[in-house]
Amino acid sequence: MDLLLKGGNLCDPRASWEGPAEILVRKGRVEAVSPSIGPVDVPIIELHGKTVLPGLVDMHVHLREPGGEAAETIASGCAAAAAGGFTAVACMPNTSPALDDREAVACVRQRADSAGLARVYPIGALTRGLGGKEMSAMWNLAQEGVKGFSDDGMPVIDGGLMLRAMQFALLLGLPVISHCEDLSISSGGVVHAGTCGYRQGLPVIPSVSEAVMVARELLLQKHTGARLHLAHVSTRESVALLRWAAGEGINVTAEVTPHPLFLTEEAVEGFNTDAKMNPPLRSPSDREALLEALRGGLITVVATDHAPHSLPDKEKDFLSAPFGVVGLETALPLLWTMLVERGLLSRAELVNCLSANPAAVLGVPGGTLAPGAPADLVVVDSGKEFTVDRENFYSRGKNTPFQGWRLRGLPVLTMVGGDIKMWKGRVKGFSSHFPETDALITGRELF
Amino acid sequence: MFPKDLLSLENIPLEVMEDILDRAAYYKHHDVEGAFFSTLKGKNIAVSFWEPSTRTRSSFELAVQKLGGNTIRYSPEMASEYKGETIEDTIRTLISIGINAFIFRHSSPGLVGRIARMVDIPFISGGEGCYQHPTQALLDLFTLRERGLNLHGLRVVMVGDILHSRVARSHFYALSAFGAGLTLVAPPVFLPPELVPPGVDSSHRLEDTLPRGDVVYLLRIQGERQEKGLIPSLREYAALFGLNEVRLLLLKENALIMHPGPVNIGVEISYDAIKMLHKEQPGRILIQDQVKNGLYVRMAVLDLLVAGKVN
Repeated sequence: MDLLLKGGNLCDPRASWEGPAEILVRKGRVEAVSPSIGPVDVPIIELHGKTVLPGLVDMHVHLREPGGEAAETIASGCAAAAAGGFTAVACMPNTSPALDDREAVACVRQRADSAGLARVYPIGALTRGLGGKEMSAMWNLAQEGVKGFSDDGMPVIDGGLMLRAMQFALLLGLPVISHCEDLSISSGGVVHAGTCGYRQGLPVIPSVSEAVMVARELLLQKHTGARLHLAHVSTRESVALLRWAAGEGINVTAEVTPHPLFLTEEAVEGFNTDAKMNPPLRSPSDREALLEALRGGLITVVATDHAPHSLPDKEKDFLSAPFGVVGLETALPLLWTMLVERGLLSRAELVNCLSANPAAVLGVPGGTLAPGAPADLVVVDSGKEFTVDRENFYSRGKNTPFQGWRLRGLPVLTMVGGDIKMWKGRVKGFSSHFPETDALITGRELF
Repeated sequence: MFPKDLLSLENIPLEVMEDILDRAAYYKHHDVEGAFFSTLKGKNIAVSFWEPSTRTRSSFELAVQKLGGNTIRYSPEMASEYKGETIEDTIRTLISIGINAFIFRHSSPGLVGRIARMVDIPFISGGEGCYQHPTQALLDLFTLRERGLNLHGLRVVMVGDILHSRVARSHFYALSAFGAGLTLVAPPVFLPPELVPPGVDSSHRLEDTLPRGDVVYLLRIQGERQEKGLIPSLREYAALFGLNEVRLLLLKENALIMHPGPVNIGVEISYDAIKMLHKEQPGRILIQDQVKNGLYVRMAVLDLLVAGKVN
């Protein structure tokens, strides 16, 4: 619907806007942004000084549907996105069946449309059945609208295959997203090869298993000219390679997930499966290198690798429990509290890494509220402190290592295409007492 | 106070370890033929080994019986009768039919601890994957003490597959608690630097370290390590890290040889080296003493953890 957001404090680095703004939304798009828009004939939402950001874009999530509905559905994952301030997500193809043909991709898009809570951009499988043996029907997948190709957690070990896949993806103008891990080094591993993991007698995933693949992908990019995006880099060696690549003019983007910015391998102490993830939480020096790379612009994207799992699966013993943590509902408050408030990241840098940059990598709209852009935005109550409680998650996955953390930067309104999807923790279609259009028309205060 | 479980030596205070060793000495002293202990009278102890074991399981079972308790075996073959039931559920079932303690071996680190935290009764580790094997470390200490050695200042040179050794990981805490020094020796694949605890030395050259040891502790090399390609072959391992006649000469005159068993003769130690020791200085090989003392240390652990809890 059409409306006017008043009294917000907008941060939109793409539009070079930082400060108070009124945002006029018509027909799902931003019509005007101005310190004062003047009298209008549309309902008004008074924000009382709250922060307004372009809607967040998470380019790395697992929605689990089809096949893994006990852990997440497209609807529950999109509800989690809305709750966390994300207006768009790119979902990885490791579903069952995998997103390696048009029907599967079409099915995901259709279900995302009917959930109607977030823009969902499927990532197509790079190889058939994620088998790492032969390329998927990449052109066909591109016709169905995939925004990139990846085998994610089933890394392509065959270097020749990766080379040819990069060449073909380049023809289609789409990025290849690589989870860098040489399984011949890391296979069977469950924790970082550090003091903590070794002491617990657990098989390890050494840093070098990631770094050697980062090096391979960078060299393949240089050779092919493909668009390359590195998923969830986790080691200081990978950061060093990115620095080298920047000097070589290698065209690569890279993402970091929130958890290794704030946690280290010690989080798995006591065999805590909620901290079991791949890549694993690593050493303090890796953590520092990642933070430095994010601040210095070597890493330009923060993506959550939202990986929901059912409770019975995560309650297994450490060796058997699956990898992954959820992230959609904690990412923004974590970055806000731990980085923005501490002066380690500006608000503009936050918007870039959580919205504008991932949108650019995927080649999708968003990342700005400049006139003409889709009215995808999030309102943040930056001062309010809250406690992370997995029981309140919309995601079916409750596997977070941040349970009980006291954070600020809570999203209180998420809008996609001019439509309110989340208001004060209530998600449209999921919660009672959702503000109906009538409430806006009658001028009821939402905040 | 006493811990509820014995799964790791990491947080076991020195006094508790000393208490166990003292009780073990008591039991060994009084274990004459016909001796009967009623420490565990009327107590039912489940012995649940999910990995193969001869000496540890027999030793635990005998320990329970000598203390007057009953053992009940609950093993994977039996577990298949409980199709669809998780280990946790089965354990709860066994507790409700009157099990007073569990002795557990499993390949997955942390699995036993996870279950132990959910219930009130004691869990005693019989070895847990590559994680810990606390009673083995305690029986090693007992065996050294029995020789009249002062553990404080003693130097143990530990040779072998440290990476996969639960015995080594228990000794990281046991030896240091008693003030003994530890030197680890292994090829790089079995000795990542991050594994070496603070205050512990490490080396990749056996010859350099042997002269320093008051005790040479050999760890078993599983044939599986060769099959997985971690080392070229057991023979090549033995060529560089096996104790042989020539290397025996590098040892201190009365240095002792220990091994948690079972020994691969020709790998960790050569046949000739064993023969020579048996012939000339049989007292320097403690391997049989370790096995024998395992019984008393396990009796002591059961006494402390299980009998201590009885109403």
